Amino acid sequence: MVNNKLLAAVIIVIIVIAGSVAVWQLMPTEESIKIGLVAPYQIPVGQDMDRAAKMAVEEINAAGGVYVSSLDKSLPIELVFADTENANPDVAITAVTRVVDQDVDLLIGGFGSSATLAGQVYAIEKRVPYIITGASTHLVTRRGFLPEGNPTRIDDAEGMSYMFHYCTTTYHYSETVAYFFAEAMKPLLESEYGLTRDLRLAVLYRDDAFGQGVWEATKHFIEDGNLPIDIVAEENYPTSTTTFQAELTQVKAAKPDAVYVVDFTTNTATIYRQGQNDVGLNTIYIAVECCEEPEFYTALGEWGDYQLLESKFASYAGPPFYLPMMDEYVADYSEKYGQVPGMMGADTYDAFYIAKDAIERAGTLEKSAVRDAIESCNLDQMLLITESGKIEFSTDEDSYHEIAPFTFVEQLIYDETLGECRPFVIWPENCFAGTVKQADFVLPENYAPGS
Amino acid sequence: MFITEILCRILAKHTVDTQMIDSTTLILTLMWGAAIGCIYVLLATGLNLIFGVMKLVNFAHGELLMIGAFVSFSVSTSLGLDAYIAVFISMGVVGLIGVAVERLAFRRVLGADKLNEIFVSLGLILIFDNIAVLIWGEKSKRIISPFENMGLQLGDVTISFDWLIAMVFVIAILIGLVFLIKKTKVGMAMRATSQKSQASMLMGINIEHIYIITFALGAALAGAAGSLYGIIFPFNPYIGALPTIKAFAIIILGGLGSIPGAIIGGLLYGIAEQSAVIFLGGIWRDAVAFSLLIIVLILRPTGLFGEKSD
Amino acid sequence: MFTKEFTKENILKHLQSTNGKLALVTIVVALLLPLVLNDNFMLQVLTLIVIFSIYASSWNLLASSGQGSLGHAAFLGIGGFTSSLLAINLGVPPIIGIFIAGIVSAGIGLLIGITCVRLKAWFLAMVTFGFSVIAETLFSHFDDYTHAVLGFRTPALLFSDRLPFYYFAVLICIISVTLIYVIMKSKMGLAFRAIHQNSVEASMIGINTAKYKLYAFVLSTFFAGLSGAIYAHFMRYISVAVFTADYSFKPLMMSVIGGLGTIGGPIIGSVIMVFIDSMLPNIDGVLQLALSPLFPAVSNVGPSIRLLGLGVFLVIIVIFLPKGVTSLLRKTYQYLRTELEGEKQ
Repeated sequence: MVNNKLLAAVIIVIIVIAGSVAVWQLMPTEESIKIGLVAPYQIPVGQDMDRAAKMAVEEINAAGGVYVSSLDKSLPIELVFADTENANPDVAITAVTRVVDQDVDLLIGGFGSSATLAGQVYAIEKRVPYIITGASTHLVTRRGFLPEGNPTRIDDAEGMSYMFHYCTTTYHYSETVAYFFAEAMKPLLESEYGLTRDLRLAVLYRDDAFGQGVWEATKHFIEDGNLPIDIVAEENYPTSTTTFQAELTQVKAAKPDAVYVVDFTTNTATIYRQGQNDVGLNTIYIAVECCEEPEFYTALGEWGDYQLLESKFASYAGPPFYLPMMDEYVADYSEKYGQVPGMMGADTYDAFYIAKDAIERAGTLEKSAVRDAIESCNLDQMLLITESGKIEFSTDEDSYHEIAPFTFVEQLIYDETLGECRPFVIWPENCFAGTVKQADFVLPENYAPGS
Repeated sequence: MFITEILCRILAKHTVDTQMIDSTTLILTLMWGAAIGCIYVLLATGLNLIFGVMKLVNFAHGELLMIGAFVSFSVSTSLGLDAYIAVFISMGVVGLIGVAVERLAFRRVLGADKLNEIFVSLGLILIFDNIAVLIWGEKSKRIISPFENMGLQLGDVTISFDWLIAMVFVIAILIGLVFLIKKTKVGMAMRATSQKSQASMLMGINIEHIYIITFALGAALAGAAGSLYGIIFPFNPYIGALPTIKAFAIIILGGLGSIPGAIIGGLLYGIAEQSAVIFLGGIWRDAVAFSLLIIVLILRPTGLFGEKSD
Repeated sequence: MFTKEFTKENILKHLQSTNGKLALVTIVVALLLPLVLNDNFMLQVLTLIVIFSIYASSWNLLASSGQGSLGHAAFLGIGGFTSSLLAINLGVPPIIGIFIAGIVSAGIGLLIGITCVRLKAWFLAMVTFGFSVIAETLFSHFDDYTHAVLGFRTPALLFSDRLPFYYFAVLICIISVTLIYVIMKSKMGLAFRAIHQNSVEASMIGINTAKYKLYAFVLSTFFAGLSGAIYAHFMRYISVAVFTADYSFKPLMMSVIGGLGTIGGPIIGSVIMVFIDSMLPNIDGVLQLALSPLFPAVSNVGPSIRLLGLGVFLVIIVIFLPKGVTSLLRKTYQYLRTELEGEKQ
């Protein structure tokens, strides 16, 4: 016998199912420019990208939208969400397929190297311009140039021309870190301790595409530039690890002068803390730019004092900031959302303005024209500092559709009144826009070199 | 030993010479393993109670740990209470949540296929994780304890007071639990129920009440584990999954329903994990721990201290 | 052992039964649906439903012998990687590769089955889970050979066009499910169910429980590996992410929601779960607009509320339908039948 409660439940379920299909099929097609935001909503970075995206879209729409000359009117931007959950490649494929089939004009976002590599395939096939703002692998635009036989290679130059990488790659930040050690730290070791030997570097990295990618790139620069750095320990661990005393003990046994940590916010903060507090490894630690998020500073507390962070967008290094636009952005974002912006959102925010500029110069929503317009972008730099001061996508094979971002190293100093550390740019001294350096690099008091 | 040497060479991508491992490192490794093992033991004991008495499988047990951490966080930040007092409040709150979960969700599926129970717990995981995100946001939090940054110095190495207090808490709670089970009427009723629920029903024990008490107790233990975890590590709504798996592995390693088994299992698990890092390299952490589990089960199919009956 | 089943009379008898008619109707619908819907994304969803039907059915087969595996993702991954790596390294055409993948997967299933045969349900669950963790670690560690960490693009299986691929998947699904049906109805299937009911009693009446449990393992992992290979060639991508717990829990959820131990159960479960995963995210935008002011802590509440709703749905459905959706369908069918018969009178 079919009882009533069951029937009611079944009816509710059918309504929800019908609802989701209906929403998808009958979505009101008010005239707008549909931009798909590909972001991992189960991780904080995804939410940060979402907030930045919404802020950009609201600003642009409030100022009248995007003018499309072929239609002779200004259209608002409409965000379409493509949730990749926790940057799972298969979910990314389905999410991107769903929004591309819903006829988005453009895609922005894409966090996570394997998720983006997997998800972009359909966009390439369908020739949808995609400004990638969250993946660190250079392959997202350069996989077309991989050697034949490499399974990741995509043999579709036309399709690949729709991919743009507005973000730093693992090469960009590894280069900065490697050269920082060679040019800024080694001389300091020489002058303070009289050590003329190579700098002893240890690395702790998460065992996934990101961690491996960064470490491989760093090694490449050390070898290529013949830098005076000696790699004395390489420790990697599963991404789900939460305690690192064992790994840190191994690193300590190798007597390093500096430790490079390649992981995200919470793990890096734990490593900084456990390394100094629990294991007694009193050395200099440097983290990658993905840690430039408010939760890193909160988790770190005072254990970041005198430690380092490589960065491209330092929302805590001011006011006054090293870049005028930062003052405005950080203030607006803080007011709107009650929190300080992280670095993940910054690229995404800029990308919307790049898209707006491209559509306006193309004069149409026709995807190939928009693609051409993005390629010929010549906007002034926005939240990301570039080498030339302009946002330009390269057409050279070895940097295809990448920008030339400028990354720097900060030193964190503990502020008792805030209970957290705050960063100061220490290296390099200048960029195209002028001086960025805010303070001198100082070794921590209890620092002890490797040997 | 020769074989292990070869195995280490193949499996490890170390550049650190394995001969450099000395006795202090080994002792430290054991100690770190034991310290982290304690929190897992607390979680595993709660799970063991629930499994032993109710034969219930709850994969959402780790989410109770997570909720415990968040409740502790809210209590200590908004009411300004000491982090360790918050542990007790959190235990109470999570215990009550446990009662609700047992009555609303598990009561109806108990007795049906075990797989249904797993299914319900998977649904509960989604529910708890997303409620936590909606209430507290997805950013990581940490509970600041009054002993922040203070610790016991042993040469270069420091053992945070928070870790030591956590171990003390765990030991105290476990002693309390053993007392409850062995000496009180409720405890005896729980033990009787775990043997055979039909027989205990005949003895006049109200099974439903026992189930509620057991689940609430198990949940409270998870809440305590979460509060202690939150003091030591940063946490977010998704941290529940891993401790659940480790807790299950521990109770199966130690033998289902056996409290000393869970304790030894937990310590062994923690030590195996940390040793794997030293000898083989970080990435082998989980694989080695599970390999240990598999080997133990091949030799003793019911776990180290497990009883023969199902 | 099975030749007895394939006599003409037997086949006709099966086809004319209610279940048989239902199966025919399902097949016809499956074949015609993409032509009716004529939508690319829906075709993707349908193909995933078909692939997961094979995967869920394989898990269900194992569960019917009382062995509820929590690590089936290991075989999904082993199947997927075997076929993909054979294709890119040795040029083995995927059409053959997928079957080799099934065999390799079954081989490893045999080894794992041997260790699990003596274990009781809980222990088996943990050990199988442990194997999926170990598989994940091994594939990551030997990344130089497996390219698992970053993942790689797998070759197309014969056709890169989605429609022919769909029909191919449907064909394999029909063959797999039919084979599983035959197994479940045979003496072996009977042995499985006896062992599931009560292992001790089964051995007392002379069933060699270890042997049959091992058969179940090998057969199940063959189909799991096969489905994994087809999945890899369909998504055109494989990485270490395939070994995560999500993929182990999916077939369990599909089988339970559909109806454990039944043939139609995993298929219905696959329809429901794949549909939910693919289509429900559409309501994120609506949820966000409607409910965001209530939850200031989160920027985009859409995904969280959707998943919360999903969790509630899963809990409720298993409480009301402990035997799965097939039981509901059966009850509805019987209810309608009695109503109609009542009216006739």
